[in-house]
Amino acid sequence: MDGGKAPVAAAPPAAAGATASSSSSYATAPTNGNGATAAGSDSKAGRRGLPLLLRSGADGFRRCLGVIDFLLRVAAFGATLAGAISTGTADERLSVFTQFFQFHARFDDFPAFTFFLVANAVAAGYLVLSLPLSAACVLRPKKGGARLLLLLCDTVVMALLAAAGAAAAAVVYVAHSGNLRASWTPICMQFHGFCQRTSGAVVAAFLAVLVFIVLILMAACAIRR
Amino acid sequence: MKGSSEHGETSKAPLGRGVSKGVSVLDLILRFIAIIGTLASAIAMGTTNETLPFFTQFIRFKAQYSDLPTLTFFVVANSIVCAYLILSLPLSILHIIRSRAKYSRLLLIFLDVAMLALVTAGASAAAAIVYLAHKGNVRANWLAICQQFDSFCERISGSLIGSFGAMVVLVLLILLSAIALARR
Repeated sequence: MDGGKAPVAAAPPAAAGATASSSSSYATAPTNGNGATAAGSDSKAGRRGLPLLLRSGADGFRRCLGVIDFLLRVAAFGATLAGAISTGTADERLSVFTQFFQFHARFDDFPAFTFFLVANAVAAGYLVLSLPLSAACVLRPKKGGARLLLLLCDTVVMALLAAAGAAAAAVVYVAHSGNLRASWTPICMQFHGFCQRTSGAVVAAFLAVLVFIVLILMAACAIRR
Repeated sequence: MKGSSEHGETSKAPLGRGVSKGVSVLDLILRFIAIIGTLASAIAMGTTNETLPFFTQFIRFKAQYSDLPTLTFFVVANSIVCAYLILSLPLSILHIIRSRAKYSRLLLIFLDVAMLALVTAGASAAAAIVYLAHKGNVRANWLAICQQFDSFCERISGSLIGSFGAMVVLVLLILLSAIALARR
Protein backbone atom coordinates (compact mmCIF):
# COMPACT_ATOMS: atom_id res chain seq x y z
CA MET A 1 0.00 0.00 0.00
CA ASP A 2 2.72 2.35 0.98
CA GLY A 3 4.78 1.09 -1.93
CA GLY A 4 1.76 1.62 -4.13
CA LYS A 5 1.25 5.11 -2.87
CA ALA A 6 4.89 6.11 -3.16
CA PRO A 7 5.22 5.56 -6.89
CA VAL A 8 1.88 7.30 -7.38
CA ALA A 9 3.17 10.16 -5.33
CA ALA A 10 6.39 10.09 -7.29
CA ALA A 11 4.63 9.98 -10.63
CA PRO A 12 2.76 13.30 -10.49
CA PRO A 13 5.86 15.33 -9.64
CA ALA A 14 7.66 13.66 -12.52
CA ALA A 15 4.68 14.35 -14.77
CA ALA A 16 4.59 17.90 -13.49
CA GLY A 17 8.28 18.19 -14.19
CA ALA A 18 7.77 16.79 -17.66
CA THR A 19 4.93 19.13 -18.38
CA ALA A 20 6.91 21.99 -16.93
CA SER A 21 9.84 21.19 -19.20
CA SER A 22 7.56 20.71 -22.18
CA SER A 23 5.82 23.95 -21.39
CA SER A 24 9.17 25.60 -21.10
CA SER A 25 10.18 24.14 -24.43
CA TYR A 26 6.89 25.34 -25.89
CA ALA A 27 7.66 28.68 -24.40
CA THR A 28 11.09 28.81 -25.97
CA ALA A 29 10.02 27.50 -29.35
CA PRO A 30 8.17 30.57 -30.53
CA THR A 31 11.03 32.80 -29.43
CA ASN A 32 13.47 30.54 -31.24
CA GLY A 33 11.32 30.69 -34.31
CA ASN A 34 11.09 34.43 -34.01
CA GLY A 35 14.78 34.64 -33.51
CA ALA A 36 15.41 32.40 -36.50
CA THR A 37 13.17 34.37 -38.77
CA ALA A 38 14.72 37.57 -37.50
CA ALA A 39 18.17 36.21 -38.17
CA GLY A 40 17.07 34.99 -41.59
CA SER A 41 15.74 38.36 -42.53
CA ASP A 42 18.89 39.93 -41.17
CA SER A 43 21.05 37.60 -43.21
CA LYS A 44 19.03 38.18 -46.33
CA ALA A 45 19.16 41.89 -45.89
CA GLY A 46 22.86 41.88 -44.97
CA ARG A 47 24.05 39.11 -47.31
CA ARG A 48 25.84 41.53 -49.51
CA GLY A 49 27.52 42.95 -46.43
CA LEU A 50 28.77 39.55 -45.21
CA PRO A 51 32.44 38.81 -45.94
CA LEU A 52 33.27 36.36 -48.71
CA LEU A 53 34.05 33.45 -46.42
CA LEU A 54 31.03 33.56 -44.14
CA ARG A 55 28.41 33.08 -46.83
CA SER A 56 26.61 29.88 -46.22
CA GLY A 57 26.20 26.92 -48.49
CA ALA A 58 28.54 24.98 -50.71
CA ASP A 59 30.21 28.11 -52.08
CA GLY A 60 31.27 29.30 -48.65
CA PHE A 61 32.62 25.86 -47.83
CA ARG A 62 34.59 25.78 -51.07
CA ARG A 63 35.92 29.27 -50.48
CA CYS A 64 37.02 28.37 -46.96
CA LEU A 65 38.81 25.28 -48.28
CA GLY A 66 40.36 27.41 -50.98
CA VAL A 67 41.88 29.85 -48.52
CA ILE A 68 43.33 27.01 -46.43
CA ASP A 69 44.59 25.47 -49.68
CA PHE A 70 46.38 28.70 -50.60
CA LEU A 71 48.02 29.00 -47.17
CA LEU A 72 49.13 25.37 -47.19
CA ARG A 73 50.66 25.85 -50.62
CA VAL A 74 52.75 28.73 -49.32
CA ALA A 75 53.86 26.59 -46.37
CA ALA A 76 54.80 23.67 -48.62
CA PHE A 77 56.69 26.05 -50.91
CA GLY A 78 58.71 27.17 -47.91
CA ALA A 79 59.49 23.59 -46.90
CA THR A 80 60.57 22.42 -50.37
CA LEU A 81 62.65 25.53 -50.98
CA ALA A 82 64.36 25.09 -47.62
CA GLY A 83 65.10 21.46 -48.44
CA ALA A 84 66.52 22.31 -51.85
CA ILE A 85 68.73 25.13 -50.56
CA SER A 86 69.89 23.08 -47.60
CA THR A 87 70.99 20.22 -49.84
CA GLY A 88 72.53 22.49 -52.44
CA THR A 89 74.71 24.29 -49.95
CA ALA A 90 75.79 21.19 -48.02
CA ASP A 91 79.51 21.30 -48.62
CA GLU A 92 81.96 19.99 -46.12
CA ARG A 93 85.70 19.79 -46.16
CA LEU A 94 87.48 17.85 -43.48
CA SER A 95 90.73 18.95 -41.99
CA VAL A 96 92.04 15.40 -41.76
CA PHE A 97 93.28 13.50 -44.73
CA THR A 98 93.76 9.76 -44.75
CA GLN A 99 94.85 7.30 -47.39
CA PHE A 100 91.38 5.96 -48.26
CA PHE A 101 88.96 8.80 -47.58
CA GLN A 102 88.49 11.82 -49.75
CA PHE A 103 88.14 14.87 -47.57
CA HIS A 104 85.42 16.74 -49.44
CA ALA A 105 81.70 15.93 -49.58
CA ARG A 106 79.10 17.65 -51.71
CA PHE A 107 75.64 16.78 -52.96
CA ASP A 108 77.22 16.18 -56.37
CA ASP A 109 78.91 13.05 -55.13
CA PHE A 110 75.63 11.28 -54.49
CA PRO A 111 73.23 10.98 -57.44
CA ALA A 112 70.37 10.47 -54.97
CA PHE A 113 71.00 13.92 -53.50
CA THR A 114 71.15 15.46 -56.96
CA PHE A 115 67.77 13.91 -57.75
CA PHE A 116 66.51 15.15 -54.37
CA LEU A 117 67.65 18.70 -55.12
CA VAL A 118 66.10 18.72 -58.58
CA ALA A 119 62.80 17.24 -57.36
CA ASN A 120 62.54 19.77 -54.53
CA ALA A 121 63.24 22.61 -56.93
CA VAL A 122 60.57 21.30 -59.33
CA ALA A 123 58.06 21.00 -56.49
CA ALA A 124 58.82 24.54 -55.27
CA GLY A 125 58.43 25.91 -58.79
CA TYR A 126 55.17 24.02 -59.29
CA LEU A 127 53.79 25.38 -56.00
CA VAL A 128 54.59 28.93 -57.02
CA LEU A 129 52.92 28.43 -60.40
CA SER A 130 49.83 26.85 -58.86
CA LEU A 131 49.23 29.75 -56.46
CA PRO A 132 47.28 31.82 -59.06
CA LEU A 133 45.14 28.80 -59.93
CA SER A 134 44.42 28.21 -56.27
CA ALA A 135 43.49 31.87 -55.82
CA ALA A 136 41.15 31.59 -58.81
CA CYS A 137 39.47 28.61 -57.16
CA VAL A 138 38.80 30.80 -54.14
CA LEU A 139 37.31 33.63 -56.16
CA ARG A 140 35.21 31.46 -58.49
CA PRO A 141 34.18 28.44 -56.48
CA LYS A 142 31.85 26.99 -59.07
CA LYS A 143 34.46 26.02 -61.65
CA GLY A 144 35.29 22.36 -61.12
CA GLY A 145 37.72 21.80 -63.97
CA ALA A 146 40.49 23.86 -62.40
CA ARG A 147 40.20 21.87 -59.18
CA LEU A 148 40.45 18.57 -61.05
CA LEU A 149 43.58 19.75 -62.86
CA LEU A 150 45.05 20.95 -59.58
CA LEU A 151 44.30 17.59 -57.97
CA LEU A 152 46.01 15.66 -60.77
CA CYS A 153 49.11 17.85 -60.78
CA ASP A 154 49.28 17.75 -56.97
CA THR A 155 49.21 13.94 -57.08
CA VAL A 156 52.03 13.73 -59.59
CA VAL A 157 54.24 16.25 -57.78
CA MET A 158 53.52 14.56 -54.45
CA ALA A 159 54.67 11.23 -55.88
CA LEU A 160 57.83 12.88 -57.24
CA LEU A 161 58.59 14.52 -53.90
CA ALA A 162 57.96 11.28 -51.97
CA ALA A 163 60.28 9.42 -54.34
CA ALA A 164 63.06 12.00 -53.96
CA GLY A 165 62.67 12.11 -50.18
CA ALA A 166 62.77 8.33 -49.92
CA ALA A 167 65.86 8.01 -52.14
CA ALA A 168 67.72 10.65 -50.12
CA ALA A 169 66.55 9.00 -46.89
CA ALA A 170 67.92 5.64 -48.06
CA VAL A 171 71.33 7.15 -48.79
CA VAL A 172 71.32 9.10 -45.51
CA TYR A 173 70.46 5.89 -43.66
CA VAL A 174 73.36 4.04 -45.23
CA ALA A 175 75.62 7.03 -44.49
CA HIS A 176 74.53 6.95 -40.84
CA SER A 177 74.58 3.21 -40.20
CA GLY A 178 76.72 1.71 -42.90
CA ASN A 179 76.13 -1.83 -44.07
CA LEU A 180 77.99 -4.83 -42.75
CA ARG A 181 77.22 -7.23 -45.57
CA ALA A 182 78.17 -4.87 -48.37
CA SER A 183 81.13 -3.42 -46.46
CA TRP A 184 79.84 0.13 -46.71
CA THR A 185 81.33 2.33 -44.00
CA PRO A 186 79.15 4.96 -42.30
CA ILE A 187 80.61 8.23 -43.52
CA CYS A 188 78.59 10.34 -41.10
CA MET A 189 81.15 9.69 -38.44
CA GLN A 190 83.48 11.99 -40.34
CA PHE A 191 81.11 14.34 -42.13
CA HIS A 192 78.89 15.65 -39.33
CA GLY A 193 77.61 18.85 -40.87
CA PHE A 194 76.91 17.31 -44.26
CA CYS A 195 74.87 14.53 -42.67
CA GLN A 196 72.91 16.91 -40.46
CA ARG A 197 72.08 19.18 -43.38
CA THR A 198 70.86 16.41 -45.61
CA SER A 199 68.88 14.71 -42.83
CA GLY A 200 67.08 17.98 -42.11
CA ALA A 201 66.32 18.43 -45.81
CA VAL A 202 64.80 14.94 -45.98
CA VAL A 203 62.55 15.75 -43.01
CA ALA A 204 61.43 18.98 -44.71
CA ALA A 205 60.62 17.08 -47.90
CA PHE A 206 58.45 14.57 -46.05
CA LEU A 207 56.61 17.39 -44.26
CA ALA A 208 55.87 18.85 -47.68
CA VAL A 209 54.54 15.43 -48.79
CA LEU A 210 52.19 15.46 -45.79
CA VAL A 211 50.98 18.93 -46.75
CA PHE A 212 50.40 17.71 -50.31
CA ILE A 213 48.26 14.83 -49.05
CA VAL A 214 46.11 17.30 -47.11
CA LEU A 215 45.85 19.51 -50.23
CA ILE A 216 44.68 16.58 -52.35
CA LEU A 217 42.09 15.56 -49.77
CA MET A 218 40.76 19.12 -49.56
CA ALA A 219 40.52 19.36 -53.34
CA ALA A 220 38.56 16.09 -53.41
CA CYS A 221 36.20 17.43 -50.70
CA ALA A 222 35.70 20.65 -52.65
CA ILE A 223 34.92 18.71 -55.84
CA ARG A 224 32.44 16.51 -54.03
CA ARG A 225 30.34 19.34 -52.60
CA MET B 1 12.79 25.78 -67.78
CA LYS B 2 11.82 22.82 -65.67
CA GLY B 3 10.65 20.89 -68.71
CA SER B 4 13.79 21.59 -70.71
CA SER B 5 16.03 20.60 -67.80
CA GLU B 6 14.07 17.38 -67.42
CA HIS B 7 14.36 16.73 -71.13
CA GLY B 8 18.09 17.36 -71.02
CA GLU B 9 18.45 15.12 -68.02
CA THR B 10 16.60 12.20 -69.56
CA SER B 11 18.54 12.48 -72.82
CA LYS B 12 21.89 12.59 -71.02
CA ALA B 13 21.05 10.07 -68.31
CA PRO B 14 21.80 6.75 -70.10
CA LEU B 15 25.08 8.08 -71.52
CA GLY B 16 26.09 9.55 -68.17
CA ARG B 17 25.30 6.35 -66.35
CA GLY B 18 27.19 4.33 -68.93
CA VAL B 19 30.28 6.50 -68.60
CA SER B 20 30.10 6.26 -64.79
CA LYS B 21 29.84 2.50 -64.94
CA GLY B 22 32.73 2.40 -67.41
CA VAL B 23 34.85 4.48 -65.09
CA SER B 24 34.06 2.18 -62.16
CA VAL B 25 34.83 -0.96 -64.18
CA LEU B 26 38.12 0.55 -65.34
CA ASP B 27 38.85 1.34 -61.68
CA LEU B 28 38.36 -2.33 -60.78
CA ILE B 29 40.58 -3.56 -63.63
CA LEU B 30 43.36 -1.13 -62.69
CA ARG B 31 43.17 -2.32 -59.10
CA PHE B 32 43.75 -5.90 -60.24
CA ILE B 33 46.77 -4.79 -62.26
CA ALA B 34 48.21 -2.93 -59.27
CA ILE B 35 47.64 -5.98 -57.03
CA ILE B 36 49.59 -8.16 -59.44
CA GLY B 37 52.40 -5.61 -59.70
CA THR B 38 52.92 -5.13 -55.96
CA LEU B 39 52.56 -8.85 -55.21
CA ALA B 40 55.11 -9.78 -57.87
CA SER B 41 57.56 -7.16 -56.57
CA ALA B 42 57.23 -8.26 -52.98
CA ILE B 43 57.69 -11.94 -53.85
CA ALA B 44 60.59 -11.30 -56.21
CA MET B 45 62.43 -9.23 -53.64
CA GLY B 46 61.51 -11.46 -50.72
CA THR B 47 62.87 -14.66 -52.25
CA THR B 48 66.34 -13.35 -53.02
CA ASN B 49 69.02 -15.59 -51.70
CA GLU B 50 72.41 -15.98 -53.30
CA THR B 51 75.41 -17.83 -51.97
CA LEU B 52 78.70 -17.54 -53.75
CA PRO B 53 80.86 -20.63 -54.04
CA PHE B 54 83.95 -18.79 -52.86
CA PHE B 55 84.67 -16.09 -50.34
CA THR B 56 87.43 -13.58 -49.92
CA GLN B 57 88.71 -11.80 -46.87
CA PHE B 58 86.61 -8.65 -47.25
CA ILE B 59 83.36 -9.65 -48.95
CA ARG B 60 80.87 -12.03 -47.32
CA PHE B 61 79.64 -14.76 -49.59
CA LYS B 62 75.89 -14.68 -48.93
CA ALA B 63 73.36 -12.06 -49.93
CA GLN B 64 69.72 -11.76 -48.94
CA TYR B 65 67.21 -8.97 -49.13
CA SER B 66 67.24 -8.67 -45.33
CA ASP B 67 70.89 -7.65 -45.31
CA LEU B 68 69.87 -4.24 -46.59
CA PRO B 69 67.18 -2.67 -44.35
CA THR B 70 65.92 -0.52 -47.20
CA LEU B 71 65.01 -3.62 -49.21
CA THR B 72 63.16 -4.96 -46.15
CA PHE B 73 61.18 -1.72 -46.10
CA PHE B 74 60.47 -2.24 -49.82
CA VAL B 75 59.04 -5.72 -49.21
CA VAL B 76 56.96 -4.51 -46.25
CA ALA B 77 55.61 -1.47 -48.12
CA ASN B 78 54.64 -3.52 -51.16
CA SER B 79 52.92 -6.10 -48.97
CA ILE B 80 50.93 -3.41 -47.17
CA VAL B 81 49.85 -1.80 -50.44
CA CYS B 82 48.92 -5.20 -51.90
CA ALA B 83 46.80 -6.02 -48.84
CA TYR B 84 45.11 -2.60 -49.01
CA LEU B 85 44.30 -3.04 -52.71
CA ILE B 86 42.79 -6.47 -52.09
CA LEU B 87 40.69 -5.05 -49.23
CA SER B 88 39.52 -2.16 -51.41
CA LEU B 89 38.18 -4.46 -54.14
CA PRO B 90 34.73 -4.82 -52.46
CA LEU B 91 34.47 -1.02 -52.23
CA SER B 92 35.29 -0.74 -55.91
CA ILE B 93 32.66 -3.32 -56.80
CA LEU B 94 30.18 -1.35 -54.68
CA HIS B 95 30.94 1.71 -56.80
CA ILE B 96 30.05 -0.22 -59.93
CA ILE B 97 26.72 -1.29 -58.49
CA ARG B 98 25.80 1.96 -56.75
CA SER B 99 27.16 4.98 -58.57
CA ARG B 100 25.88 7.46 -56.04
CA ALA B 101 28.26 6.58 -53.22
CA LYS B 102 30.06 9.83 -52.32
CA TYR B 103 31.65 9.27 -48.92
CA SER B 104 33.13 5.92 -49.84
CA ARG B 105 34.70 7.48 -52.95
CA LEU B 106 36.23 10.20 -50.79
CA LEU B 107 37.57 7.60 -48.36
CA LEU B 108 38.96 5.61 -51.28
CA ILE B 109 40.74 8.66 -52.70
CA PHE B 110 42.30 9.46 -49.35
CA LEU B 111 43.54 5.90 -48.81
CA ASP B 112 44.77 5.69 -52.41
CA VAL B 113 46.82 8.86 -51.92
CA ALA B 114 48.34 7.52 -48.70
CA MET B 115 49.19 4.19 -50.36
CA LEU B 116 50.67 6.03 -53.35
CA ALA B 117 53.01 7.89 -51.02
CA LEU B 118 53.98 4.62 -49.31
CA VAL B 119 54.64 2.61 -52.47
CA THR B 120 56.53 5.49 -54.07
CA ALA B 121 58.72 5.83 -51.00
CA GLY B 122 59.44 2.10 -50.91
CA ALA B 123 60.20 1.80 -54.62
CA SER B 124 62.36 4.90 -54.70
CA ALA B 125 64.40 4.00 -51.62
CA ALA B 126 65.01 0.52 -53.04
CA ALA B 127 65.98 2.08 -56.38
CA ALA B 128 68.55 4.28 -54.64
CA ILE B 129 70.07 1.25 -52.90
CA VAL B 130 70.04 -0.79 -56.12
CA TYR B 131 71.82 2.07 -57.87
CA LEU B 132 74.42 2.11 -55.10
CA ALA B 133 74.82 -1.65 -55.40
CA HIS B 134 75.39 -1.33 -59.15
CA LYS B 135 77.70 1.65 -59.26
CA GLY B 136 79.04 2.10 -55.75
CA ASN B 137 80.21 5.49 -54.61
CA VAL B 138 83.71 6.78 -55.13
CA ARG B 139 83.59 9.59 -52.61
CA ALA B 140 82.23 7.54 -49.74
CA ASN B 141 84.33 4.52 -50.63
CA TRP B 142 81.37 2.21 -51.06
CA LEU B 143 82.01 -0.83 -53.23
CA ALA B 144 79.66 -1.91 -55.98
CA ILE B 145 78.52 -5.31 -54.71
CA CYS B 146 76.87 -6.25 -57.99
CA GLN B 147 80.22 -7.25 -59.36
CA GLN B 148 80.16 -10.27 -57.09
CA PHE B 149 76.44 -10.98 -56.68
CA ASP B 150 75.11 -11.14 -60.21
CA SER B 151 71.80 -12.93 -59.85
CA PHE B 152 71.00 -11.14 -56.58
CA CYS B 153 71.45 -7.81 -58.32
CA GLU B 154 69.35 -8.86 -61.27
CA ARG B 155 66.56 -9.98 -58.98
CA ILE B 156 66.46 -6.79 -56.96
CA SER B 157 66.64 -4.66 -60.10
CA GLY B 158 63.82 -6.53 -61.79
CA SER B 159 61.53 -6.43 -58.79
CA LEU B 160 61.46 -2.64 -58.92
CA ILE B 161 59.55 -2.69 -62.21
CA GLY B 162 56.33 -4.09 -60.73
CA SER B 163 56.40 -1.53 -57.96
CA PHE B 164 56.89 1.43 -60.27
CA GLY B 165 54.11 0.12 -62.50
CA ALA B 166 51.80 -0.09 -59.49
CA MET B 167 52.72 3.50 -58.68
CA VAL B 168 51.60 4.71 -62.13
CA VAL B 169 48.41 2.65 -61.83
CA LEU B 170 47.65 4.24 -58.44
CA VAL B 171 47.99 7.74 -59.96
CA LEU B 172 45.48 6.69 -62.65
CA LEU B 173 43.16 5.30 -59.97
CA ILE B 174 43.20 8.59 -58.08
CA LEU B 175 42.46 10.47 -61.29
CA LEU B 176 39.53 8.14 -62.09
CA SER B 177 38.07 8.55 -58.61
CA ALA B 178 38.36 12.33 -58.88
CA ILE B 179 36.64 12.31 -62.27
CA ALA B 180 33.86 10.13 -60.84
CA LEU B 181 33.45 12.58 -57.97
CA ALA B 182 33.35 15.56 -60.31
CA ARG B 183 30.63 14.04 -62.45
CA ARG B 184 28.05 14.11 -59.63
